[in-house]
Amino acid sequence: MNGFHDLRYMAIATVGLTLVTFATRSSFFMLPPSVQLPKSWERALRYAPVCALTAIVAPTVFTRDHEPYISWDNHQMWALFAAAAVFARWRSMTAMIVVGMAVFTALRLLA
Amino acid sequence: MTSITRVRALLFAACPRDTYQRGVASMMPFALAISVWGLVTGVAMVNAGMTIPGALIVTLFVFAGSAQLAVLPLLAVGAPLPIVWITALLVNLRFVIFAAASRRYFVRLPWQQRLVAGYLNGDLGFALFTREFADDTDVGTPDQYGYFYGGATVNWVAWQLSSYLGIVLGGLAPTSWGLDLAAALALVAVLIPMANKLPAVAGMVVTGVLAVLTVGMPMKLGLLVSIVAGGAVAVVADVARDRRAALEASEMAAR
Repeated sequence: MNGFHDLRYMAIATVGLTLVTFATRSSFFMLPPSVQLPKSWERALRYAPVCALTAIVAPTVFTRDHEPYISWDNHQMWALFAAAAVFARWRSMTAMIVVGMAVFTALRLLA
Repeated sequence: MTSITRVRALLFAACPRDTYQRGVASMMPFALAISVWGLVTGVAMVNAGMTIPGALIVTLFVFAGSAQLAVLPLLAVGAPLPIVWITALLVNLRFVIFAAASRRYFVRLPWQQRLVAGYLNGDLGFALFTREFADDTDVGTPDQYGYFYGGATVNWVAWQLSSYLGIVLGGLAPTSWGLDLAAALALVAVLIPMANKLPAVAGMVVTGVLAVLTVGMPMKLGLLVSIVAGGAVAVVADVARDRRAALEASEMAAR
């Protein structure tokens, strides 16, 4: 099913996502000053976003039709490698997206 | 007082105009990068199949680019809402650290103002603000509020306008252009600076491999499984690294 056209689903999802933004960004702004962030939690909080973003990006690039897709023909994979190299060198998100999409489009049209 | 000034006084701390302008000026150099990011997010939402009104509402309220992009593939398949929310929560957990680290500057404000300031405290604003005032012994000064709101205003306006533009343009681009890849690349730009230590890299590798292998699991459960496993590896690696560092330090002291 496509969730985007289910009005109820999207409305509830959006309300929840807005609450998640408030709950995280304003978290310690709202808690009483006596409540501190425990050191051991800090580790988990630091690594969770890294892993969550990876869990989204990896299947977008390395799977197709719910199957792992690691092949020379995977254009998205080459685009990702090129983009990551550009970002590592120049630290520019704009350059990274432009180069990545250029590589992908060139492979899509030519290969 | 008109009702607009009253609402403004309720939600925002008072601050001098010149410090507000200094905050605006400090964020201006980043307006282009924020706009590219907003544009990509807007295009990606509509390209993934979100309706234009839906995408505008999400942009206006959710106001968290990486979380918005992260939940797109989940919403597209109508994944269970708890999975959608937990994913957004995990992506946003970095903001909890930001909030803990910058709380002392805002702690004296009334709760409505703290709620709004927290909502506006995104990646860039946090980085600029804490760099600017790290050495300040006074906290909660009007100068600090002005600088914060100035930067937040540029960030908010650039983000909203560029997202709206992307939402309008997104409908024009055929899906064969693969613009979902642009969204993934934008997330990689957030990800790479986070991967600066071995535990983070270990967590990423484990999460990435598992996320690819479990992609067929029902209800996108593979996502949570791989995040939990990768996160556990990263935490264990981090604890081990700290222990080793402490051991080396004590050996040095013994010598």
